[in-house]
Amino acid sequence: MDELLPASRVTPDDPAGPPGTDGVPVSAVPTPLVALVGPPNSGKTTLFNQLTGLRQKVANYPGVTVEKHVGRVKLGGGRELDLVDLPGVHGFSARTLDERVTKNVLEGKVPGIRSPDALVLIVDSTRLENQLMLVEPVLEIGLPTLLVLNMSDELEERGGRVDDGPLATRLGVEIVRTSARTGQGVEAVRAYLESVEAVPGGVEPVERNLTNVKAGTALPVVDAFAARRRLVREVVDEAGFVPPGPSAMSERLDALFLHRFLGPLVFLAVVLLVFQSIFTWAVPLMDAIDLMIVTSGEWLATTLPDSWFRSLLVDGVWAGVGSVIIFLPQILILFLFLGILEDSGYMARAAVIADRMMYRVGLQGRAFLPLLSGYACAVPAILAARTIDDERDRLATIFVTPFMTCSARLPVYALLIAAFIPDEPLLGPVVGKRAAVLLGLYGLGIVAAVGTAFLLKRTLLKARPTSFLMELPPYRIPAPRTLALRLLDRSKIFLRRAGRVIFAVTVVLWTLTQFPRSEGGAPEMDESALGRIGHVIEPVIEPLGFDWRIGVGLVTSLAAREVIVGTLGTIYGVETADEDPEALQELLRRDLEPGAAVGLLVFFAFALQCMSTVAVMRRESGGWKWPALQFTYMLLLGYAGAFVAYRVF
Amino acid sequence: MRVNFILKRSRRVGRRERFAKVSTVQALPVVEKLVPDPVRELRLGDIPLRQEVELVSIDLPADQAEPLLERGVLPGCRICPVRSSPGGDPIVSIDGSLLALRRETAACLCVRILSSLQDVA
Repeated sequence: MDELLPASRVTPDDPAGPPGTDGVPVSAVPTPLVALVGPPNSGKTTLFNQLTGLRQKVANYPGVTVEKHVGRVKLGGGRELDLVDLPGVHGFSARTLDERVTKNVLEGKVPGIRSPDALVLIVDSTRLENQLMLVEPVLEIGLPTLLVLNMSDELEERGGRVDDGPLATRLGVEIVRTSARTGQGVEAVRAYLESVEAVPGGVEPVERNLTNVKAGTALPVVDAFAARRRLVREVVDEAGFVPPGPSAMSERLDALFLHRFLGPLVFLAVVLLVFQSIFTWAVPLMDAIDLMIVTSGEWLATTLPDSWFRSLLVDGVWAGVGSVIIFLPQILILFLFLGILEDSGYMARAAVIADRMMYRVGLQGRAFLPLLSGYACAVPAILAARTIDDERDRLATIFVTPFMTCSARLPVYALLIAAFIPDEPLLGPVVGKRAAVLLGLYGLGIVAAVGTAFLLKRTLLKARPTSFLMELPPYRIPAPRTLALRLLDRSKIFLRRAGRVIFAVTVVLWTLTQFPRSEGGAPEMDESALGRIGHVIEPVIEPLGFDWRIGVGLVTSLAAREVIVGTLGTIYGVETADEDPEALQELLRRDLEPGAAVGLLVFFAFALQCMSTVAVMRRESGGWKWPALQFTYMLLLGYAGAFVAYRVF
Repeated sequence: MRVNFILKRSRRVGRRERFAKVSTVQALPVVEKLVPDPVRELRLGDIPLRQEVELVSIDLPADQAEPLLERGVLPGCRICPVRSSPGGDPIVSIDGSLLALRRETAACLCVRILSSLQDVA
C-alpha cells in the first residue's frame, strides 16, 4: 500500500540520492516534484484536483496513517511533474501526525519520496493575516516558492484588497491569484509549474529548521510566535491589505446553526437525514448489487463443471466477497453526505455542537463524524477518525466505533427478532415489541461505547484534557469535482481493505467445510472440520445456551457478522435461507431457548465479529496491540452480556 | 514551564487568599507577578459578546498553548467573542477567522479590555 509512488521517483533510503528508475538510465533527469503546502480550509485539495484530475494516487506515508496524495501534472511539450498534496497544517510543531508528515516531506526525510524541487504555498486571501503565519517557516526552507492567493474573488466581493507587487517583493516569491473552486487562475499556477526544473540528485537537504519551538520552553514559544506575528503584520501593511467585510451569509447561517435551541435541532435533523439515506435510499442499490452477485454466482455455478474449484469460487469467494460489496452503496451515500457537510463548512459547526456531549464521555467533537459513520460500517468510520488531531482521542474513538450498530448486524438482528420476538404492540399501535427490541439493541451499543470511552480515558488513554480548537471556515458551496474524487478514493480504500480480508477468510472457512473428504465429496457439516470446531467450542458456549450449530455460526461470522445467517441456513440444510426465512426461524425456535436467543442478540451487539475491522484497526493504530485488546474486550463483554441475558430472560 | 507554574500559583493565590498568603510565595524570584493584578485576573471567558479585548497572557502549558499560538492567538492580539455555542462554549473572532474554544480554555486566557481612549490607534 505504500509503494504507490511512481517508480521513477522512488529512491528508497536515500531521498537525496540519484533516483533509481525502471528502464531509464540513472543519469536521466527525474520528474520534478512540487509540494503543495497550506493551512487547512485554504482550498489546497481543490487546487490539487484542478491540476491533476484523475491522475492521482493515494497511499499512506510509511508507518503512519496520514494519506499521501500524489498526482501527475501534464505540462507542455510532453513534460510531466509530480505534485504532492501535503496535509493542511497551521505550523510545524510536529505535534500532530499531519504536522509531522508535512515537516518530514519538506525536510526531505521521508523514505521513498524525494526532496521537493519547489513549493506551492496556498493561502485563503480573505484571512491573509492569519494564513501568513505559515509563510515565514515555509520560506525559511529556501526552495523556489509560488504563493497562491486563493479565494481572491471572494476577497474583492467582500470589499477587501491586497497589492501583489509589494507582497511578492517583500516575501521574495512569485504570486498568483486564484479561485480554485471556479478554476480561475489555475492556468497561471500551471504556468509556474512549467518553470520548475528537477534538481538532479535532489535538493541538498539543508538543515531546515522547521521547528516552531524547542521542547520544554515556555516563554520563548510566545516570543518566537510574537516575532513571526510582527513580521506578518509588517508584510500585510506594506501590501496594503484591507481585510474583507464580514460575510453576511456566513453570519446568518451561523446564527441558525449555532443557535441555542435551533442549532441542536438542525444538528439532529442532519443526523436523521444521514441515517435515512443510509437505511432507505441505499436499499434499492443494495438489492440491485445483491441480485447481480446472486445471478452471476448462479451463472457461474451452471456454467462451470462440478468440481471443488466451482464450489470454492461460488460458495466461498462469490458469497464472501459479495457480502462486502453489498455495503458499497451505503458507504458511497454516507461519504457523499459527509463530504457535502465537510466541504460546506457545516461539519466544523456540528463538531462544536457535539463537543460538549463528547467531552463528558472523554472524547471530543471531531469524534462525532466517525461515530456517525459507524452506523453504516466500522471500516470507513475508523478511517474517518483520522481528522482527530489528538492521538489519544483518536485511539479512544476508533476503539469504541465498532459498538455502533453497523448495518452488518441488521440481518442477524432481523432473523433472531423475527424468530423469537412476537409481532405484538408494546406502546400503542406505533411501537411494537420487535421495534422496541431493535431500538434497545441500538441503545445497548451506544451505552457500551460511552462506558468504554469513559473507562479508557480514565485508564489506558489517560491524559490532561486537551484544548479542543476548531476553526470555523466560512460557508462555501462544495465543488462537485472534489466530492467525486473523494468518493472514488474512499470506495477504493474500502474495497481493497475489506475485500482482501474477506477473501482470505472465506477461502479458509470454505476449506474447513470441505475436509475431511467423505466418499470423494464434501462431508456433512457435522463431520467437517468446521463442524468439529463447533463441537470443540460447544462446552465454552454451553453456559450461554448455544449448541454446536450456533458455535459454527459464531466462528464463520468472524469474517463478517451477517455470514452467520447463511451458515445457519447451511447447517440446518435450509438451502434457501434468504428466500424462505420461515423455515430457518422454525428450526431455530426448536433448538434455541428464548433466553439464549436474546443472549445471541446481545452477543452480536457487543462482540467484534468482523475481521475487516480488526485489519483496519491494526493499520490505523500501527500494530496488533490495540486490535487484540479491542477484540478480547468486546468478546468478553459479548460473552458476559449473553450469559446475563440467558439467565435473566 | 517554570513561568507558567508561577502564573498558576499566582492565580490560585489570587482566587483564594488574595491578600493573605503572600509570605509563602515571596521566596520565588518573580515576585511582582504575584501582586494581585485585577487586569490579569480578567479571563476571556468572562468577556461579554462583541466586547473586543486584547490578550495579555496564556496560562497554559506550552504544548497546549502552541495550537493557539499557531492560529494567531498571541499576547497582544485582539480577540472578540462573537457567539456562544449551544453548549455554552465561546466562539471568537481573531484576524478575520472564527475559532471555537472550550470554555475551560477560554478561562486560561488572560485579557484586558481595550479602553476606547488609549487603544484606538
